[in-house]
Amino acid sequence: MTRFYWVLGIVAVLGLGLVGYQVAAHRAGGAATQPVDLKGLDDPAALMRAAQGITKGSPDAPVTIIEFGDYECPACGEFTLQIQPQVEKAYVATGKAKLVFYDYPLVSIHAGSFIAARAARCANDQDRFWQFHSELYRKQNDWVAKANPISAFVGYAKSLGMDGGAFQHCLESDRHADVVTADMRLAQQLGLNSTPTIMVGLAKGMPRRLGEDFSFKAVKALVDQVLAEADSAKANGAKADTAAAGGR
Amino acid sequence: MAIAVMALVGLFIAFYLLAHALGWTGSLLCGLGDCERVQQSRYSSIGPVPVAAVGVAGYAVMLVTSVLGIQPGYRESRAVSWLLLIGGTVGFGFSLYLTYLEGAVIHAWCQWCVASAVLMTLIFLTSLPETRRLRRA
Repeated sequence: MTRFYWVLGIVAVLGLGLVGYQVAAHRAGGAATQPVDLKGLDDPAALMRAAQGITKGSPDAPVTIIEFGDYECPACGEFTLQIQPQVEKAYVATGKAKLVFYDYPLVSIHAGSFIAARAARCANDQDRFWQFHSELYRKQNDWVAKANPISAFVGYAKSLGMDGGAFQHCLESDRHADVVTADMRLAQQLGLNSTPTIMVGLAKGMPRRLGEDFSFKAVKALVDQVLAEADSAKANGAKADTAAAGGR
Repeated sequence: MAIAVMALVGLFIAFYLLAHALGWTGSLLCGLGDCERVQQSRYSSIGPVPVAAVGVAGYAVMLVTSVLGIQPGYRESRAVSWLLLIGGTVGFGFSLYLTYLEGAVIHAWCQWCVASAVLMTLIFLTSLPETRRLRRA
């Protein structure tokens, strides 16, 4: 009987040790889950250089549709999964507009949004940003509930055909924390306080911000307005060129 | 006694999988198979409850019952025999179902799930002599 309890005790100690070690060794570890300290971003030009959106569509498209989004934000998920496909069909596929996504993780209320933004950037390293971006929103309810979503993210990466090892290596480091932080700082500098924030603009000038209505109808109205202004500016430029040529 | 030791080992395996399901740890240590694919599949939980939690509960019941069964006052207890028999049979059936899912539906194997299935099978086989004891009583 005593021997039985000895065996049970040894198994218990071994089990506790092994499971405890595995849990402790594979926690978020070195993964950057919060914004990092970046110097020199008080200079707007430096901030613009450091912040990097991810673009979808032709770089020559006249209109740019910008989204500042947070992966834990349900409204961002609705925009990405329901509205964005319509926008892509109407404007991106036709070469009229390009989409640019900037990270704006609201870290004070969404604990996992920063590492999710980094995960999407790690997916971008393997040219799967947009697929992973949509997957994060599709599976939002699953990973948001996790204290450490890394393994869920690795699972999504593998299901999208990525190299799971390379993805995990990227995620368990501080890679892309600087860019995500810079994107956040840019959003703050622009005075944005909610997600998604959608802006539509031309290559030059300040883009216009969409209101609180994120329906396709509202996006379409704003994009069409900006496109009309672009056409009118182009026509005026052509007229001015003709007049200048005639005056010579 | 053997059931208690096997249930304790199973309890740790199930707890490790539960820690993973709850996000307390990163990727699973997985030398064989594709644990992540199995753990990320929709069969890894029953509604909001991770399958690993069912495993923890099941192994805990088997452990407590088997330790109770070797205490002086419970050695001849029919209740303990029934519990071991029912627990072993249900656990074995559930393990068979999960193994079927891995092989035929998910098409991926998780070494920890396979280890748990082997343990449950051994627990089931070890609990079978309880039927003889019940018949005797």
